Amino acid sequence: REALGEDAELKVAQVEEEQRRSHKQIEESRQRLAKLLFDGTQMVTNIQVAADLRETQRRAEEAELKLQRVEKLENEAKSSTYKFEEITSKWALAKEMTIPQELWQLLNQQQQQCALLLEEKNKLIGELQQELKNKDEQYVWAIKKQSDDIHLLLERMEEQIRLMLKTYRHELLQIEKAFELERRELLDNNRKKWEEAIQAHNAQELEYLHARMRKVEEFEKQLNQLRVQDEEEYNSMKIQLENDVQNLERQLQQMKAVYQLNQEKLEYNLQVLRKQDEENTIIRSQQKRKLNRLHSLLNNLRTKLANQKKQFREENHSLAADCERITGQCKEVQRRMRHFAISDAEKFTEVWLMNEEEAKGLMQKALNADRVIHTQQLGLPWEEPRYWFLNNVGPLGHYKVKRMATKLAAEVLTVGSGEGGKENTAKVEGRVTPLRNISKKTAKRILELISDESGFLIESKLLRSLQALGRHERTLMKLDSIFAALKIDSEDDLYQLVDFFLKYKAKEMAVSQGRWLLGGRRWWKAHCPACWPSLQSQGSPGAEDVTDLAEDREDGGSGAQRDKLKSPRSSLGSLPSVYIHADDVLKILKAFVRGFDKLREKDKSAKEVLQVRDSSKDGEYWEALAHVIPEPRLKLWDALAVALEEYYEILTRRASLLAEAALLQQQNSELCLLLEEYISSGVNSKLLSPPTKWMDLNLSCPGEAQ
Amino acid sequence: YYTYRVIEDPEWSLATVPHLTELCLQHIIHNFEKNPILDRLLPEHQRKVLDRLSTGLPLAVTANLISDEDYWKRCCTERWQACDISNYGDSWKQMFFERHLENILKCFIPNTTDPNQVLELIPLCKDYVRKLEVDQFLPPVQTAQKEERDDLSNTGSDFGFSEVSIHHYDLGVLITALPHLEELHLTYGVKDCGMNFEWNLFNFTHQDCCNLAVAVKMCHNLKVFKLTRSKVDDDKTRLLVRNLLDHPCLVELNLSHNLIRDKGAQAVGKLINHSRLQTLDLCNNQIHHLGAQALARALAENSTLTSLNLRLNCVEDKGGKAIGRALLTNTTLKSIHLGSNNLSEPTATLFSQVLAQNTSLTSINFSCNHLGLDGGKQLLEGLANNKALTEFNLRLAEVGQETEYLIHQIVWANREAARLGSLQHPRAKLI
Repeated sequence: REALGEDAELKVAQVEEEQRRSHKQIEESRQRLAKLLFDGTQMVTNIQVAADLRETQRRAEEAELKLQRVEKLENEAKSSTYKFEEITSKWALAKEMTIPQELWQLLNQQQQQCALLLEEKNKLIGELQQELKNKDEQYVWAIKKQSDDIHLLLERMEEQIRLMLKTYRHELLQIEKAFELERRELLDNNRKKWEEAIQAHNAQELEYLHARMRKVEEFEKQLNQLRVQDEEEYNSMKIQLENDVQNLERQLQQMKAVYQLNQEKLEYNLQVLRKQDEENTIIRSQQKRKLNRLHSLLNNLRTKLANQKKQFREENHSLAADCERITGQCKEVQRRMRHFAISDAEKFTEVWLMNEEEAKGLMQKALNADRVIHTQQLGLPWEEPRYWFLNNVGPLGHYKVKRMATKLAAEVLTVGSGEGGKENTAKVEGRVTPLRNISKKTAKRILELISDESGFLIESKLLRSLQALGRHERTLMKLDSIFAALKIDSEDDLYQLVDFFLKYKAKEMAVSQGRWLLGGRRWWKAHCPACWPSLQSQGSPGAEDVTDLAEDREDGGSGAQRDKLKSPRSSLGSLPSVYIHADDVLKILKAFVRGFDKLREKDKSAKEVLQVRDSSKDGEYWEALAHVIPEPRLKLWDALAVALEEYYEILTRRASLLAEAALLQQQNSELCLLLEEYISSGVNSKLLSPPTKWMDLNLSCPGEAQ
Repeated sequence: YYTYRVIEDPEWSLATVPHLTELCLQHIIHNFEKNPILDRLLPEHQRKVLDRLSTGLPLAVTANLISDEDYWKRCCTERWQACDISNYGDSWKQMFFERHLENILKCFIPNTTDPNQVLELIPLCKDYVRKLEVDQFLPPVQTAQKEERDDLSNTGSDFGFSEVSIHHYDLGVLITALPHLEELHLTYGVKDCGMNFEWNLFNFTHQDCCNLAVAVKMCHNLKVFKLTRSKVDDDKTRLLVRNLLDHPCLVELNLSHNLIRDKGAQAVGKLINHSRLQTLDLCNNQIHHLGAQALARALAENSTLTSLNLRLNCVEDKGGKAIGRALLTNTTLKSIHLGSNNLSEPTATLFSQVLAQNTSLTSINFSCNHLGLDGGKQLLEGLANNKALTEFNLRLAEVGQETEYLIHQIVWANREAARLGSLQHPRAKLI
């Protein structure tokens, strides 16, 4: 059934139409068959169910019977035991019996009772055996019944199978019929449709044919018309063309005439050209020959040129080698010269020093003598002469000892002190540099700014200890350490720094104001690198010449811009109160340090150049040393010498007189001694009137009186 | 010579002389037993040889050499009248070997038949046997006691003479040697004993049970195990169940027509949740309400069992209600048979609830119970909204004709719906 149903369903799926006769038929058949199958199964299984029921009933009865039997058996056992006890109890009675009759009677009774008991038991056994027999019979019956059932079952199954087969066949037939019918219908339908379609098609075809015929006729008519038209056109065209032909023929003849004329002309030309050609060939051969000659000449020249080239190259090589050698020699000589110059300078200084020492010693002697004369002889107050050369040691014209940057800073900060010297140097340089003219105020401002803003360059330890100091000192200390960090040691560097600040500011302003945007920017770019050496040289008068040379070179290169340069510088200097913002300081410092390192490099190279000294002042110097004692004083000394000689004479006279006096005194004292001897002798006392008595006693010791 | 022969013998013709190949094939067929040549022949020659080979050739030669179905078909049809190939995996060879082995086992008499008869067959048939259906095991013959027994047969056969050697053939060696065995149907009993009936012939001893249980445990591919009409009691059931616990393949277990009581049922209940059982048949046993309750407990937790048969037991209302309660939670069981179980109205009441809630049950059988008219009505009420049930057997259940008819209508409608659903489903899949 399932298979059938599925087949049907598959068919349905293929056809995809729900309400179709075949489908309906299949569904009906399926349902009928299912019902039939169910009924059949029911019928067959009914037997099993019935058997089950019988079995359960039998079991229930069995259980009941079993219960009854057990009860019965128990009852029986109870009653029999009771009876048996009764019997046994009577045996005891029997023992007491003495009368035989009674005993016999009793025994009889006992026998009867035992028999009764046995009979009952036997009966029970019989009953049970009967039951067993019944059971056997029942078993046989049950077996029979079961075999019947099985037969019935088989019968029913067979019947069922037959029935099912029959119905299946029937249904199959029905379904097939339904399908057949449907198919036939479908066929009919399709055929009808087909025929209709064919008819419609035929009709349409006919229509098309008619339409085509009509069109063909139309086209034919059109064709005829066109033909006639074309013929007319053709005729007219023909006439026109004939006319054209005639015209053209006429023209052709004209052209022919022209052609002949031309031909003659051309022939003539040809002749001329041939002649020319011949001439040309001659000329060409000549030229060829010439060309060959020239070629050989050229070759000769080329070889010559090559030879010369070689020669020159060799020469060149040798000259280059010479040049190299000479330059090497030159360098060597230079080096030696430098070395000698240095050694000369050293020797010079040594000799100078020695001479100077000697001169100074002499001078000192003279001065000392002068002093002695003045103080001791003349009693005048002596004043030590103050001359510029007195303090000079070493060769004249030595560099001014450079002040340290910090010192300068200190100076700058304490405005108004040590200005003179600086101005002097400025004058010595002879060229007014705007840098030096930066107002002190501005410089001070800048330095203060630097010290305030670049505290990070100072060591923290130092910074802490600075707190205790005053403002001015603190600034100084700070600057000191900042300069150490930036490696600024000379005053030049400091000037550069300040100058850089100002320039930077100026540039800033130029950018902001745009006043001399073009010029300023250009000169800045052109001059900045060139300016530095000149700026640097300003600090060292000894290197002036070199810088001058540099300046000269510069002048040649950019003399035109010099004027421009000066004007902004002056303007720069005239901006005393340039305000520099604190924030810009670091930026400027950074830019400065970057540029500064480059400068240092240049600086070193510049320093190598030997410094040449001038000896113009030397004569003067030595002259001055010689005339340390002025002319009037020498005159004084002469006069003094005369006076002293006179004085000396007097003194010598006095000395001789003194010697005389001493001699006389000695004689006197000798006489005194003699006198005293005489007086003190014994004779005196013997005399009645000693001379002593009347003589002055004062005469006794003339030495004392002296 | 030919001409001479032709002239001499007018009946002689060249056509009657067989071809050499024919002769060779003939020879091969005649000597197949000693020198089996088959694989080296051309296909058409193979065909011829196979068609003409004798069916009486020893199996040792043919078993592993010939795989041709037609040959084995001839063997089968010559040996047995009824041959239903569909029961044997549509393979004649399988059928032949299975039935051959079954015949040998049926006729095997322990201590008398040579066990080698079976053992020799094992290497030949082990690749083809998938199912063993043995409905007879002969007990050992005891000649000395047999005469005695004849005398004593009247007084009672259950005399203690057969403790030792009445065990049946031990299947262990055979079963474990068959790697493809999937089904095992056994009945320890004697067929066609007729008037020689003795209780003794139907004794499934404890030793037998032990051997069988161990053998089944070793048989890892076993899917179906049936042990029917063999006097399996509680102890033996427990022994079997202990060995079947956590069996990797077992799907169907049939212990019908035995003597299983509540304890055995409890053991089986334990087995349900420790295996992959899908079908369990315990019909015609002596399971009472305790056993049914144990089964119900197992059923409530189970998710593999799809069919349960408790026909002809004594479950009664207590057990029926327990099973009904289990079915309120169970969602896998599809078919349950509670026929002839002395059930009555309370069970019907509970099952009406089950019918209203459960959507997996498709088949219920309550035949031969005492459900009563009210019980039938309650079942009808419960069934009113059920769409899953397609089979509901209430024959001889005292529910009244009208109720039965109405229930039948509902079930029929459900069945139609299910059929349509199953038709729609594959069609949807096809699209």
